[in-house]
Amino acid sequence: MPQSTQDTIGIVGAGAFGVALAAMLGRAGRNTLLWSQRQDVVDKINGEHRCSSFPDVELPATIRASTDVEEFADTARFLVVAVSSETVRERLRVLGTAVTGRHLAVHAIGAFGPQGDMRVSRIISQETPILRTGVIAGPSMAKDLMAGSGTSLVCASEFDEVTREARRLLEVPSIMRLYTGRDVIGAELASALSGAYTIAIGLADGLGVGIGTRAVLITRAAREMSKLGSAMGASSETFFGLAGLGNLLVRSSVQGEHRSPSYSLGLDLVSGNGMGSHGEGSRAARAGLRMASAVGLRVPVLATIVRILDGEIEAAAAAELVKTVAESE
Amino acid sequence: MNPRVLPEARDRLATFNDARASIVDQVVGRVVDAHIELAAQGQDDSLEYVLNEVAFSEIRRLEKSSGRENKKRLGRWHELAHKLGHMSEADKREELTSIVRYHAQDIAGNFNPKVYRFANDILPPALSFLLNPISGLREGVQALGAMAESIRIDGPLDTINKCCEKGTLVLTPTHSSNLDSIVLGFAMNRSGLPPVTYGAGKNLFSNAFMSFFMENLGAYRVDRRMRFSLYKEVLKEYSTILLERGFHSLFFPGGTRSRSNLVEKRLKLGLLGTTATAMVNSLQKDSASRRIFIVPVTINYRLVLEAETLITDYLADTGKSRYIIEDDEFSRLGRIVDFARKTLAHEGAAIVKFGTPLDPFGNEVDENGDSRDGQGQIVDPASYLQNREGQVCADTQRDSVYTRMLGRKLASVYRRDTVFLETHLVARAAMELAHRRSGISDVLRLMRLSETALALPSQELAEVVDALRKVIVANPDAGSLEESLLSKPADEIIQEAIRFMSKYHTKRALYQVGEHVRIGSMKLLYYYRNRSGHLNFKWEG
Repeated sequence: MPQSTQDTIGIVGAGAFGVALAAMLGRAGRNTLLWSQRQDVVDKINGEHRCSSFPDVELPATIRASTDVEEFADTARFLVVAVSSETVRERLRVLGTAVTGRHLAVHAIGAFGPQGDMRVSRIISQETPILRTGVIAGPSMAKDLMAGSGTSLVCASEFDEVTREARRLLEVPSIMRLYTGRDVIGAELASALSGAYTIAIGLADGLGVGIGTRAVLITRAAREMSKLGSAMGASSETFFGLAGLGNLLVRSSVQGEHRSPSYSLGLDLVSGNGMGSHGEGSRAARAGLRMASAVGLRVPVLATIVRILDGEIEAAAAAELVKTVAESE
Repeated sequence: MNPRVLPEARDRLATFNDARASIVDQVVGRVVDAHIELAAQGQDDSLEYVLNEVAFSEIRRLEKSSGRENKKRLGRWHELAHKLGHMSEADKREELTSIVRYHAQDIAGNFNPKVYRFANDILPPALSFLLNPISGLREGVQALGAMAESIRIDGPLDTINKCCEKGTLVLTPTHSSNLDSIVLGFAMNRSGLPPVTYGAGKNLFSNAFMSFFMENLGAYRVDRRMRFSLYKEVLKEYSTILLERGFHSLFFPGGTRSRSNLVEKRLKLGLLGTTATAMVNSLQKDSASRRIFIVPVTINYRLVLEAETLITDYLADTGKSRYIIEDDEFSRLGRIVDFARKTLAHEGAAIVKFGTPLDPFGNEVDENGDSRDGQGQIVDPASYLQNREGQVCADTQRDSVYTRMLGRKLASVYRRDTVFLETHLVARAAMELAHRRSGISDVLRLMRLSETALALPSQELAEVVDALRKVIVANPDAGSLEESLLSKPADEIIQEAIRFMSKYHTKRALYQVGEHVRIGSMKLLYYYRNRSGHLNFKWEG
């Protein structure tokens, strides 16, 4: 099938989410090109139509992969960045050598950048010449995408052109619905911070709290997130949508196959493990606390998570978290 | 005159008067055509709505004013409002054209090369001679040098000069005083930069002395009383066309003088947005067209002419609504001369810091006029304007986001390129110490304290100055110290600040009594303190 630059979706990263997204789009007849720096991954996709994340699934033949960043940049104008938050800066630095201002890029990274609390859309603008950026976020799991289950994401960008293109290229009737908006800060913060609050829910589940208390914790977490987001210039509504509450619910799923690392970390903390973690959820908790401190906002749930992570509260005393939530406000 | 800038780039404004009529025609043509095209869609875009908004806005304005001329104008707008419903489309188009032409002609400036030469070759020595009270006639010939010492210039001038030859410059300075345009004009001339056209509040043209120069040096009139959107469209189109034609321009993105003396953070993006529009228009006509370079500039005064009026206005309840101040120090020639003699005549009275040029998308530009991305790689600015098909196209929403990004970039450059002088340093230190010693953290409550109630021990004030200096040095993104202040003893800096702050203003901001420094004017202290307001510093001593 001939690939036109304007209709090809370039996916940065051939991990589980990137490949699953490519598979969903490929089955819908869309052209996709995955960019990976690993030759073995590329060879497997191009030669065997397989990937290590889903070894039992045969990928659509329309999916192509490349290690050549120049080819990747020449082939696709609309890019989806789907790499891990730890490697995003270095991957973008390489991408930045080939892309130009004509490219549009959204990222699907539900976390802050590798250091500190920088939002990924800002890292894209720092490391590449791309200015037309956005974010896709929400409770879509790679497995759902690969299975073709109906799912929804939110796409936020200051540029209407980006959200228009995202809908044109990523929406698939009855499988993928995209809701669009301009609240980039909100979508990125909601997506990243929900990882931090997921730790709290894992912790509460590890403590064996009842479903009522669990529901209170989730609700209070969404509320605290929205207050922090508003103070950072986001719309509070965003935190109760797919990027915030939607993400929180799916990440705190108790089902083993969907269990997120942040949720598992919460469970581990109860048994005295996981202190000093530098995973996405932990980094988000610390970043959120720094943001709150900078704007003089009280965030009891986040503060308690960080105290537990830092070993200031004994694992056995983690019930403090639940008590804090019940008393907050 | 700097020989490095090619005559073509330097003398573009000299061709302005020949082009003036065609510029006005082009403004009228574009604005009217755009409205006729939109009107075809009906609803809120119909000509009746557009004309009605003009009439309604002008009636509201003129009903509050007096004078025979205004009454006559009021009648004309009432008449239009009454007959609008019965007018034919042709009559509406004619009315629209007439209004647009009237305002385009009112806005359009004028440039007289003779006045420009006079202002640059004769005025500075004369002004310098006047400003320097100890100069005798013999020293007159050296006066230009004296002025050069009063106003220091810093920044990548070679890069800016080269960009000037490769494209159209848009200078975007911070705005503290109505003297900014004079100080900047001097700095530009000394740096070999060409004359620029700029928008000046129409109220400034009421000062006969200033009006003469502004009317002949390319300034165009911005009438801030005109609240209807058609006026803003005419103004923006005028600016767009000037940029397209390569006339170097100047905007004050702060919109008005900073009342608080805080470094501008929220910028007015209207005229700034014309850079992207002009670029789209130029590229659509010719892909090799001139580029547009935005040059951030900070103007850092040791003392500000209108400080007392501005801070009073800021603190007053009505401060935010008084956009146009017509009765400040700038309106009194005596105060300007007094200010100039007592402050501008001194070495380092003002520092004009030019920043690295930017493209309309906020990328820094190098000495070859090439845009560089965050990694320092060359990027083609036209690529930001390409659509899916690779064509440069107009997209109002897209370009408004680019302009917001550019505004954010400018605001961060303003903070980084702010230069702190003695008055800023000591005023901040004194305010911090006053907070600490009074136990009052709220500024407004602190200001209500009796000004003599606070005696600040000189020794402790020096400690605060030292601590503040360290914080400034550690935060280069929040500004820098004037070079001599890096090594000077703190007590010396305090004495100099006290001396300067006692010189010109009607009240002394600080004064020394024995081992203590007392506050003479909390308002003035607050004003000068605010220059570092964006810097996170608290004295816990």
